[in-house]
Amino acid sequence: MTTLTLIPALLLIPLVFAILSLLVTRPWRNAFALLGIALQAVAALSLSWVIFTEGASSTALGNWAVPLGILLVADGLTVTLLTLTAFIAVICALYAFFYLRAYPREERYFWPLFWFLLAALNGIWLADDLFNLYVGLELLGLAAVGMVALQATQQSLAAALRYLLAALFGSLMYLLGVALLYGSYGTLAMGQLSDLMVGDLTTQIALLLMTLGLLIKTACFPFHYWLPPAHGGALAPVSALLSALVVKSSFYILARIWLDLGTLAVPIGLPEVLGLLGTCAILYGAWRAYTASEIKMLVAWSTVAQLGYLLLLFPLALNTTEAAAHLAWQGTLMHLLAHGFAKGAMFLAVGTLVLAARSTQLSDLAGISRKLPMALFAYGLAAVSLMGLPPSGGFSAKWLLIQSALHSGQWVWIIVISVGSLLSAAYLFRVFSVSFVEGKQRELQPTHPMLDVTALTLALIAIALGFFGMIPLSLMELGTPLPESPLPTGGQP
Amino acid sequence: MNTQLRLTLASVAGVALFALLTLAIWYHPTSTVDLPQLVANSLAETGTEHPITAVLLNFRSYDTLLEVAVLLVAVVITLALAQQDSNEALSSLEQPARDSLVIALTRRLVPLVVLVGVYVLWAGSYQPGGAFQAGALIAAAGVLLRLAGWPIHQRANLLLRVGLTLGLVVFIMIASIALVSGQPFLTYPERWAGELIFAIETVLTLSIALTLLSLFLFSPEALSSQSRKPSKEKAQ
Repeated sequence: MTTLTLIPALLLIPLVFAILSLLVTRPWRNAFALLGIALQAVAALSLSWVIFTEGASSTALGNWAVPLGILLVADGLTVTLLTLTAFIAVICALYAFFYLRAYPREERYFWPLFWFLLAALNGIWLADDLFNLYVGLELLGLAAVGMVALQATQQSLAAALRYLLAALFGSLMYLLGVALLYGSYGTLAMGQLSDLMVGDLTTQIALLLMTLGLLIKTACFPFHYWLPPAHGGALAPVSALLSALVVKSSFYILARIWLDLGTLAVPIGLPEVLGLLGTCAILYGAWRAYTASEIKMLVAWSTVAQLGYLLLLFPLALNTTEAAAHLAWQGTLMHLLAHGFAKGAMFLAVGTLVLAARSTQLSDLAGISRKLPMALFAYGLAAVSLMGLPPSGGFSAKWLLIQSALHSGQWVWIIVISVGSLLSAAYLFRVFSVSFVEGKQRELQPTHPMLDVTALTLALIAIALGFFGMIPLSLMELGTPLPESPLPTGGQP
Repeated sequence: MNTQLRLTLASVAGVALFALLTLAIWYHPTSTVDLPQLVANSLAETGTEHPITAVLLNFRSYDTLLEVAVLLVAVVITLALAQQDSNEALSSLEQPARDSLVIALTRRLVPLVVLVGVYVLWAGSYQPGGAFQAGALIAAAGVLLRLAGWPIHQRANLLLRVGLTLGLVVFIMIASIALVSGQPFLTYPERWAGELIFAIETVLTLSIALTLLSLFLFSPEALSSQSRKPSKEKAQ
């Protein structure tokens, strides 16, 4: 198998299984889903292996060269994200097999949307074209909104509609920027644009509009308002997919826009403003998580806070030394991976707790540690990574970010990162302070042991990233087939 | 937030955006890459004579493939939201009494609309037109039929789902032909590009028409009893 087949396979497999899951009846649907996630994981791992051994690769769709056609690029960063997606998708699918038994009505249309979501994510990681990224964002956003709306309760419909409107507005702003760039440069291919782009006013305005759109889609403070009801109200596997992967994809585009294309067009003060927004997200998200009364809302607000760390990339990597930028990029990628695994694990574990207790209220979980120790253990491991305690992926990420801040002498961000870790410890411990209380206990529904196994697997990966973090970090350094590297911040160390 | 404050904020944001866009267009540099010229140069190899069709179904067919998936997602969501009460609602939906004038009108109008749709599909290969426009026209014919009270509101059965997905299925199959012969994804076999593009557009027209029609037929609003009454009165 060559990259010529493997790259499109990562799009074809989800699309084909989306169609199959629409057409077949229930017993077949599960069998096909199992086959599909296995194929998808094999394809992602084989592509990673090929890229690891043979270097970055690309395929010109329809055999048309850029700028006429669309290029799909698989470099080290891409395959790292593809593998992350495949891992989380496999675990969420396995969880969903057992979890959705309690939701037979939602199960019907969960799978088509799941596959479309996966196709969109893979498409975004592989894309190298601004308009193609827009189409990917549309597919991703709509599939995500559909998954939030699945329960069709008044609450979930309101959350889904809010999400839809925010996502659409974000898409429009992004598209406006893309149109301006196309008008100025006459091409949409990112590889070409990164050579052509200069720092003129039109470029700056276009990039700012795109940034606004992507900040809304990433739910960055102060545009986070749609995230907690959408992520907190959805079914557990949906919440896990949304928090672990979906919000990361728009951040990935944002990072590529500034670090790859717009390095010459960075307006004065923009990195600091983005860093400030990140700081506000860390503080406000933590406060709301600390005061949340529902456990799923606590985890959802924690996502708002954790997304804030991603924005620290901009002050740490733009207009600083190469070494600092390199460390910041590594730290951000590590945070993205660690948060993906840890938050996925946390939403799955919390989903099990809620399923067992039949209540989302934190206070109803009193004494649950005795009944559901494994789910709570998975929650705990995920919390260790989110707080950034060693050894965990979260710790490595924050360590790299702090190193980067030291390199460029921006001590402010060191304080932000440390305070953020303390605050996350404060709100994450609330679950333990309730669960170990021996109060009046609720009648608990039995849950399938696979629910605990899957959540625990993700949490263990988040911890293991602390030991084996060098693998993804060295993988992402692999260059691209383009003459000018699309990741100029990193470069070779 | 009160209404006045919201309005003020919205106006400020709107004026700021307008000013930014004016600035951006005012200063916009002349582009170095002339993409329309490149399209014109390669048009002969695309199997279609119209540049827009060439861009949509050959140069950037990948974008179109994903857009077709977007349409399918929209209809999947509609079906997912409609399913809880659709079966009862649809079966209990009594036939509205039909006006003979409306029947006569739709009898003459609908075949014409469908005919125009087919023409627009055919015209797409050498002038503006194509699958999306044709699909929208044919869907409009379906909406007319439904509003006039014809019993076309079947439940979302397998046949409908096959029709909805057919466009994407055929598109994916044709796009994958190239992989077998070691060509990049979405490459059309030499000399067959025109025929294959037309085949894709034809099935896409069907699927897009069914998609848009399903969005209308299965929207929860149309199924709820409140919105059913006025249309019944109109029909009488």
